Amino acid sequence: MIALAHLLLAMVPGLPGAITGATTVVPYGIVALVAPAAAASPAAEVQVPKNDGWVTDLAGFLSDAQERELEALMESYKRGSTHEMALLTVPSLEGEAIENLGLAVGRSWGLGKAGVENGALLIIAKAEREIRIEVGRGLEGTLTDSISGRIIRDVISPEFKRGRFAQGIQSGIVAMHKAAGGDYGALPKQRRRRSAGRSLAQLVTSLLFLLMLGGMGGLSRRGRYRGGGLAGPLILGSMLGGRSGYGGGGGFGGGGGFSGFGGGGGFSGGGASGGW
Amino acid sequence: MPERTLVPALARPLTRPAPERRGAVSKGCAVALGIVGAFALLLGLWGMGSYNGLVTAQEGIEARWSEVENQYKRRFEMIPNLVATVEGAADFERSVLTEVVEARAKVGQARLPETMPTDEKQLQAYMRAQQGLSGALGRLFALSENYPQLKATQGFLSLQDQIEGTENRIAVARRDYIETVRVYNTKRRRVPGNFMAALFGFEKAAQFTVEEEETAVPVIDFGGDDE
Repeated sequence: MIALAHLLLAMVPGLPGAITGATTVVPYGIVALVAPAAAASPAAEVQVPKNDGWVTDLAGFLSDAQERELEALMESYKRGSTHEMALLTVPSLEGEAIENLGLAVGRSWGLGKAGVENGALLIIAKAEREIRIEVGRGLEGTLTDSISGRIIRDVISPEFKRGRFAQGIQSGIVAMHKAAGGDYGALPKQRRRRSAGRSLAQLVTSLLFLLMLGGMGGLSRRGRYRGGGLAGPLILGSMLGGRSGYGGGGGFGGGGGFSGFGGGGGFSGGGASGGW
Repeated sequence: MPERTLVPALARPLTRPAPERRGAVSKGCAVALGIVGAFALLLGLWGMGSYNGLVTAQEGIEARWSEVENQYKRRFEMIPNLVATVEGAADFERSVLTEVVEARAKVGQARLPETMPTDEKQLQAYMRAQQGLSGALGRLFALSENYPQLKATQGFLSLQDQIEGTENRIAVARRDYIETVRVYNTKRRRVPGNFMAALFGFEKAAQFTVEEEETAVPVIDFGGDDE
């Protein structure tokens, strides 16, 4: 009966559009990706790399230890401020504009807490020597375009020009954190930890913290943006928190405790691009 | 013998099934009515779903459109500052500055209603003005490469970042708008939607053309990667 009704309705004059309506021209592949209505459709042209935690280092700028340090820093930052800042490096853009890649990645990874949209992404394209900071809507007020531009020009680019990629990336992330405001997650966490008792996971996190802070301390002495102001009290806090495992050695499995992105993905093209 | 059996055989079907047939007719009527009613209900639900879908899509377009307009407005408001900075910092090529100022004035004249644009011609005129401004700004930034003194000014760099950021947001907002309009216009043309659109006056939303998109793209790439 209903099938018949469909048939009848489809035969009403002026309705061929019902059949051909779907052929409306879409100029960009990305369009299909970015619209919420078309969320299910695949990224037609922009190839979104598979996410690998906070740091997705496809171009291989970082050593394993550096990557872990950075991931611990990002995780701690998320705990303290809820802001989510991730890194993506690619060997090549393969003809895609870095702005398009940044947008597609931010949206498809769901970076930032849903509703708050406080995600940001640092992207580095090795072959093209391009850098971009893609900023989620919720951070556009603090990590503005001009601050993003300055971080690229004054913090990341100078290090990259000297071939110090890990340093540049780390300083850049720290600078992005600083600009976005908020705090690292160590101090409030410590207090809660004491009352909640000790678990293995907490022990591992605090060890990672100490390791990360050690790395930051070293950085801040040379970096233009100093994250070192926090390191002292944080280490002190860790000590007071009763974590005595300051071995600092290796042997950490997995990443820096990546707790997943917030699923927001509210990006609308904020940020800045540059190069080195 | 054959006559005897034949007559009652003929007479019986003539007299007996008559009341039966009357009952069948009224029963058939009820069934038909039921089917028609169920069909009407289904049709109504179908139409309602389609109507609501159109309303939602239209709301989406309005939201996207206001984003497009906001970004254009933001850029519009940054330009006097840019012109002042460039004039103050360097002995800059006058013609390019004038071009920017004139393009901005044209944008100021091209106004569109705040709601969903439905007039393609009006939208195109608006877009032409905006594209003119994009082009003029692109030339200004390209030329600024020849003025290292200007490029070293923090104020100029900051403005360049902001305007480039806005250009990129414009590109994103436009793409998002295009997609929502495409979805809406398709809904409007598909079967229940086209009746609803005719019945309740859902107008076709004006779409950016492909050509406009193409001219917009290079603008987001200017400068930035020069250091």
